[in-house]
Amino acid sequence: MKSLEFGNARENREGLRGWLDPSRYGWERFAYWAQRLTGVFLLIYFIGHVYETSSIAGGKDAWNLMLELTQTIWGHLFLILVIGTSTFHSVNGIRLILTEAGKGLGKPGRPDYPYHPSSLNRRQRSGIWIALTLAAVAMLYGTNILLGEH
Amino acid sequence: MKIHYATGLGALFVVAIHILMRLVVPYTSSLEYDHVISNYHNFLYAVALEAILVLVAIHGFNGLRVILLELRQSTLWENGVSVATIIAMIALILYGTRTIIIANGIGL
Repeated sequence: MKSLEFGNARENREGLRGWLDPSRYGWERFAYWAQRLTGVFLLIYFIGHVYETSSIAGGKDAWNLMLELTQTIWGHLFLILVIGTSTFHSVNGIRLILTEAGKGLGKPGRPDYPYHPSSLNRRQRSGIWIALTLAAVAMLYGTNILLGEH
Repeated sequence: MKIHYATGLGALFVVAIHILMRLVVPYTSSLEYDHVISNYHNFLYAVALEAILVLVAIHGFNGLRVILLELRQSTLWENGVSVATIIAMIALILYGTRTIIIANGIGL
């Protein structure tokens, strides 16, 4: 009995393939995937940022040397990507917190063909679009500041 | 998930302060050594930086833990992932705190 349970659990385990399966994409699926990808990307950036700023402890020369490495056109393009992903992650995260609190889910209804989920309604889609739009606006603002120097 | 949401909202607030502090002066000037050091010497700002460090580290590593637990389930995996992410989180907080303490002047 125990091995049967284990076998079923393994069959349902899709891992990264299930996570990235494009055949299941809807807006909610896209937001789920984007929230996780941006989160991992931002964690990697944050670890790098903590290491980068630690050069301040080495004095002025160490700080300036680190700036020479990071304050380049590629460094600024990377920062613009950080601005966009952090804005999307924040706004979409707020949408998820509100959703978990039951806000914007709509009322439950009888499941009729073609079985559109009532939870994926206009409010939810608007939330995803607002997150994407604000990310684009933040990236434009960041581009103006960072690339305006070059 | 409550800790994830609480740290996320808290991080959003203190990161906004961090970015605003950078925007009150021209971008290039904001990165000059003397300006950055003067920021670290401001005790309240140093506390805000420590708050960013702690909140983002908890939020980030807990998020990574959640993703890894979604991908695979077993007692060994779940315990291993939880312990590894907590150790990484503590290491990052200690490393970042060291920078804040030294730059603030307490350690000099």
